[in-house]
Amino acid sequence: MLNHEIEQLDAAIRSLITGSTPHLSRENPQLLSMVDLASQLRLMPRPDFRMRLRDELLAQASLPPARRRAFNSNIALPTRAYLKSPTTHDSVLPPLFSTSPSMLPVRGSHLALSFALHVAALAVVFTSGWWMVQNRALVRTQIASRWSGTVDYILPAARGETHGGGGGGTHDKLPASRGSAPRFSEEQLTPPAVVPNESPKLPAEPTVVGPPEVLLPQLGQTGDPIAAILNPPSNGTGSGGGIGSGEGGGVGVGFGPGVGDGRGGGIGGGVFRVGGGVSAPRPVFDPDPEYSEEARKAKYQGSVMLWAIIDAEGHPRNLRIARSLGMGLDEKATEAVSRWRFEPALKDGRPVAVQISIEVVFRLY
Amino acid sequence: MQILKATERDADERDLIEAAQRNPSCFTGLYEANFDRVYAFVARRVPNREEAEDVTAEVFHQALVGLAGFEWRGTRFAAWLIGIASHLIARRWQRAAGHVEVPPEELESIAVSDQTERQALLAQLVDRLPEDQRHVIRSRFVDQRSIREIAQELGRSEGAIKQLQFRAIESLRNQIRSRHA
Repeated sequence: MLNHEIEQLDAAIRSLITGSTPHLSRENPQLLSMVDLASQLRLMPRPDFRMRLRDELLAQASLPPARRRAFNSNIALPTRAYLKSPTTHDSVLPPLFSTSPSMLPVRGSHLALSFALHVAALAVVFTSGWWMVQNRALVRTQIASRWSGTVDYILPAARGETHGGGGGGTHDKLPASRGSAPRFSEEQLTPPAVVPNESPKLPAEPTVVGPPEVLLPQLGQTGDPIAAILNPPSNGTGSGGGIGSGEGGGVGVGFGPGVGDGRGGGIGGGVFRVGGGVSAPRPVFDPDPEYSEEARKAKYQGSVMLWAIIDAEGHPRNLRIARSLGMGLDEKATEAVSRWRFEPALKDGRPVAVQISIEVVFRLY
Repeated sequence: MQILKATERDADERDLIEAAQRNPSCFTGLYEANFDRVYAFVARRVPNREEAEDVTAEVFHQALVGLAGFEWRGTRFAAWLIGIASHLIARRWQRAAGHVEVPPEELESIAVSDQTERQALLAQLVDRLPEDQRHVIRSRFVDQRSIREIAQELGRSEGAIKQLQFRAIESLRNQIRSRHA
């Protein structure tokens, strides 16, 4: 009998919870009174509600009287929204005909700060726009050029002349990428590589063969200093290790473990090259080149590499394009550099002609 | 209007009120003493638990703000709270009905009743149930979980949970009857 009543009570409670009317026999008043009690239990508050409201009241009580009154409309309602079922949106969203401007707390200082920041941001936008309109011509033609220090193997003065060269590569599909050649050393343990061997059997610093007192500029990524591309990294199409299109564990187009055109290590001869007792020429007059109309319209940017001989008077001679950019910028670069003037290179205290590379960068701002 | 049955002495309540008027942090004493009563009153007059909690919270927030103006005239504090609750509920009715005025007699009828006291007592008695029975009652009626879910949570059979539910309600009924007697 008790089991039957237990089942009947549970069935009635299920009906109450689902919102339907429980069907009970009036012959069992005890069970009826229990179902009536169960219907009242449905209205019980959630256990955490009492504690949360108590905390809210304590927070409200701790405020000065003026703010305590405002607490009701500004803080308490959103706090209580957390206690609500997520399906009831009336406390989360303001009612359609609400007389309150906001249901979230607003502090005057925060509002003022926000307003000031917005005004400042708008002022910056309008001022910069106005400046751009007023200086349209200047913006259009503004370019940057710089004389590059990454000349072809630019070297400090040393006791003797340097000769020879080197080259390398690992039969990559792409030509070697641009970067700095590693330092010179008397003997080579490891050839340089743009893409290094991750787990070498004998870890050793990559070097190229040449006079150790000659310090090559180190600019970060290892590569061929006169290569056209910066990325993707490639050791080049040459062979025998190293970087470039040559052969023999060096850097460049030559043969051997040196750098540049030539053989057997070291660095190439011919016209004086910077280094090995020859100082680098220093530009003293280097006006910016103009942007070609075609390139400016196309918003074309990049750099042109020029080969030049700087004679003993500091004039650029025999300008050649080592790396072309196109769109008329090669001509503009040549035209500008031809007007440059240098403090000539020195060998044993006397000015001498040297061959250098000049990189002219074209960039639109 | 019926008078609320006192569960505490008037003097104690007066002390609590005066203490809360001097130091609002003491309002929590009045809150604890009257929460069940106010909630029970509100819950029977609004459509769901969420709204009941919302109105109850607003009653106490308004009471805390207006406490300084409360004057002891022999009326129980609960009656004052119930008065605030009545007005809040009436305002909700008016809003829901498109600003139709609620007749005064309707407001009168939602004053204090034995039913409210009974409901408040029920909430207090649930708190005093044995742990397992209290857990079943809260899971079933507040969280509206099924017998199977509760059984799985407690690692017991569904029959055992139904029995706990039955015993808890039976116990509550007996205690309420004995109080009334």
